[in-house]
Amino acid sequence: MSQTVGPTRVGSIYDLGYRRYEGARLGRAAAIGALAADSFRTTYGIGHGGRAKVAPIVLGVLAILPAVIVVGVLTIAARIGAREPFESAVPLGYDTYYRTISVLIALFCAAQAPELFARDQRHGVLALYFARALRRSDYALARLAGFGIALLVLLLVPMVILLIGRVLLSTDVAGAFADDLPTLPAVVAQALVIAGVFGGLAMAVSAFTPRRAYATAGIIALFVLPGIIAQIVIGLGSGGIGTWLVLLSPTLILDGTGAFLFGKELPGQLFFFDLPTWTFLASAVVVTAVAVGLVVRRFARIAV
Amino acid sequence: MGWARYPCPVSLVAVTNLTKRYGGAITALDALTVEIEPGIVGLVGSNGAGKSTLLKILLGLIEPTSGSATVFDLDVATHGIAIRELVGYMPEHDCLPPDVSATDVVSHLARISGLPRTAARERTAEVLRHVGLYEERYRSIGGYSTGMRQRVKLAQALVHDPRLLLLDEPTNGLDPAGRDEMLELIRRTGTEFGIAVIVASHLLGEIERVCDHLVAIEGGKLLRSAPLGSFTERTGTLAVEVEDGRDALAERLTAAGLQTMIDGSAVLIDLRDERPYDLVRDIVAELGLPLVRIEQRRHRLEDLFRDGPEPATEIAAPPTAGPR
Repeated sequence: MSQTVGPTRVGSIYDLGYRRYEGARLGRAAAIGALAADSFRTTYGIGHGGRAKVAPIVLGVLAILPAVIVVGVLTIAARIGAREPFESAVPLGYDTYYRTISVLIALFCAAQAPELFARDQRHGVLALYFARALRRSDYALARLAGFGIALLVLLLVPMVILLIGRVLLSTDVAGAFADDLPTLPAVVAQALVIAGVFGGLAMAVSAFTPRRAYATAGIIALFVLPGIIAQIVIGLGSGGIGTWLVLLSPTLILDGTGAFLFGKELPGQLFFFDLPTWTFLASAVVVTAVAVGLVVRRFARIAV
Repeated sequence: MGWARYPCPVSLVAVTNLTKRYGGAITALDALTVEIEPGIVGLVGSNGAGKSTLLKILLGLIEPTSGSATVFDLDVATHGIAIRELVGYMPEHDCLPPDVSATDVVSHLARISGLPRTAARERTAEVLRHVGLYEERYRSIGGYSTGMRQRVKLAQALVHDPRLLLLDEPTNGLDPAGRDEMLELIRRTGTEFGIAVIVASHLLGEIERVCDHLVAIEGGKLLRSAPLGSFTERTGTLAVEVEDGRDALAERLTAAGLQTMIDGSAVLIDLRDERPYDLVRDIVAELGLPLVRIEQRRHRLEDLFRDGPEPATEIAAPPTAGPR
């Protein structure tokens, strides 16, 4: 076409013309990785302006704060030579930490999961993703993985602080590390269970609505209601159904798997439900699988 | 021309008996069969004619109820990913998150298309410059005008260097100047960049300015598929406007064997060869008529479809177009 060299082009010295892209195309796996990384960043508001960072940073700091306080208290106690009595008095250890911050974890999920799925639906971005060289299930799984990893970071950072604090405070560093080492698999397993159950359910809810507010309300309801209903049903005396509802409550699953993984008795109210502790772990696996399945199915069918 | 990328004839898009029903009640596509070759192809039809549905089926975004379609000889039912690697898509509706910048969203989508990080960044800068976004590309999309958003949508469709662009109503919501710029961008994409383009629009008057082939559909059926050039050659019209003596002029021209029509103060002459020019000159001089202007007009593009299997009266045409 001859118009390309007309006089109108004289001034545009920056316009080198359209260039073909002959470089590498990394394919689906790279696309999934990039999408998961984007999900991680979006969960923490990275690259999304100041307002998007407020909720994740506030909740994240609050989730880490107890670990920092515990380490601080232990440091002071160690200075005055009273570490042992303080340590047994502090109610926060590897096995109880997540129970203590469970509300923060739930709020983090309720606030940030809709940032991914609800946002993509609301602004019609799905059409741009699905028009690219990846499957709809790739999209769903990449978003889930990114959010799951973000949650794991939130859950494991305080544990790492606890571990480092405890180890460095002891006179025998290697010995203290060796003492704590056997507990770590249970800690990681507990974090995985929480990421799966809390994260999975939150993502499943937000996959079904483009409205952030509805998603957040729905997630909180899903976290809170099963436990309440279970207690009401049990209060009414029909133990059977109530017992099973317990296995659907994220916070009670957290308590139950904690008891199983750390070899403790079921805490507090759960004691009355009289379930073997392993059922909570099994329930966690089932709930996570169902949540992931729902998300994948949702995006396989959604119209764009 | 830019078709050097297609050394041997390649079927760009082939659609056979394609039917799409929504919920059994609405038929978006009704046994559509059409073949589209590389070039800038206008897909025209009124709203609800099935244009968007066709584009989405070609991308594998929705499944047809029956029938088959291929893009680059790849079956959409089985090779969706391979097709989408070669295709860029600009949806009709808003599809951009408001809280990120154009650079962020386009480079992110480039990476989803499989480009490495550095390449994604470079291509993003390039295509945003091509569509005419400069400093503003670092600002949040939430503050963009419709014209800027449409440019970003085009840029994300181009960023992975596709071989085919599917554009769904790219001039939607743009003011006249914005429309001109968008059409010019589409024309450049098709000619200079050498990328095949299928552009869906309900505005014939716009689409005829950039396309070299037109596919018209109505009610999910093919009305006509024809090269724009062949059509305009065949049906040119000469309009002769006179201050008075219009009827006498028409009479003389008809007597001389020309097909004429009256349109306001003008006489319209079917222009099949050069002969009418001399005749008009002679007759106007002979009758001493006060001549206002002689101009060559193109038929309404609507007429292209009137010649087809079914009339297409609902298709919109520019109000300034020529005679009926």
